[in-house]
Amino acid sequence: MSRRARVLLVPLLLALAGCGTAAAAQQAAGRSGSISLSLTTVPTIRSVTISPGQASFTHCTGGDGGANTRSTSRKLGFPNGSCWVGSSVSGSYPITVQNTGIGSNILISGSSADPADGGDSWNLCNAGGAGAVACTGNGRKPGPDQYKVLNFSSWGTWHRGISGTPRCDQVFGPSGSCWAVQGMVVTEGLELIGPQWSSDTSTNWTVTITWTPVPGRQN
Amino acid sequence: MQLRLWLSLPIGALALIAWPAVSYASVGVGVQAAPVRLDGVAHPGGQYALPPVYVVNTGTETESIAITVERISPGTGRSVPPGWITASSPPVQLSRAQSARIPLQLTVPRTAAPGRYFSDVVAKGSASVSAGGARLGVAAATDLEFTVTPGAASGGWFSAPGWVLPYVLGVVVVGALAVGVRRSGVRIRVERVPASTGPGGKRNHVA
Repeated sequence: MSRRARVLLVPLLLALAGCGTAAAAQQAAGRSGSISLSLTTVPTIRSVTISPGQASFTHCTGGDGGANTRSTSRKLGFPNGSCWVGSSVSGSYPITVQNTGIGSNILISGSSADPADGGDSWNLCNAGGAGAVACTGNGRKPGPDQYKVLNFSSWGTWHRGISGTPRCDQVFGPSGSCWAVQGMVVTEGLELIGPQWSSDTSTNWTVTITWTPVPGRQN
Repeated sequence: MQLRLWLSLPIGALALIAWPAVSYASVGVGVQAAPVRLDGVAHPGGQYALPPVYVVNTGTETESIAITVERISPGTGRSVPPGWITASSPPVQLSRAQSARIPLQLTVPRTAAPGRYFSDVVAKGSASVSAGGARLGVAAATDLEFTVTPGAASGGWFSAPGWVLPYVLGVVVVGALAVGVRRSGVRIRVERVPASTGPGGKRNHVA
């Protein structure tokens, strides 16, 4: 190694050594350090998932045979024919409702029934409770252009009927509770009771039933 | 006997492969569990950006998720008029397991009563699965909370459309450039070369 190279190398090594000393001194004086830790939390999503299985309106009954408007097995008759998705008698509940989020109250609501020709709808009616629209037919059955939907599960049948505004799904749990813990699955069925008579002559109608989880706490 | 055994193996394998195909479609919507809260207080006449709300498609079908404001869960406070809340984007299209954050804006009318306001932000899915003639739909709700207090909105005395500020800045920049060029002594002369015609009525072209 030449003399010139040694002259350059010695101060460089001294400087490097000094850096290390200074760093050590600083750390000893309480320099902050950090470590990374990972943390996993429970999910904080409120959600519900519906699967209909092989559900369809069947076992329709009622109507007036004398006027040729009696129900057939898959067609609703007048007045006040009724059709079923599943059966509370045989214990068939084809609609699967699963709380896929955190613990929530599960609400249920229905829409008006809309005819395929875009004409006059049937309004949802029910008996009692908040947001009730009274059924105006005989024996509290649906009146003209009204219909009623009852839902049922292994916990029982909600005879008052589904409302147009979201209300506690009283058959989601025991004793009319609609509280659902995470992952809870309930299978349900529906009974639709048709109007006394219909202003619209359409033979195809669409109704929508909606389940909504909302904030709540287990009592 | 052996032939039957060998035949049953591929049939069993096919049944296993086909199993997911016969599983039923589902619809599902999720929303953040944390309430949507305005940082600070709102004032009559003010406009405020609320924290974006997280929504997710938990079903197997593609969903178009829209936001509405309803009072459906228990809570104290005045109900939020739905017209006060606007989603800053159209309904979002989400395929299976996809999520999005939807920005919300709160517009408090000048006539708004002071107090605590409470309602639900409801994420509604457009998709439905059919159960015979019945369509089965889903929605999910989370709390919406804010407080209105008397006083002037933080917007101050001056309010203008969003394009005004960039426009004014542009004019200022162009003006500053013009003044700078003038003071620097640099002169830019713009001349127009008149089009001349030749003796035959043809134009003379300059190469």
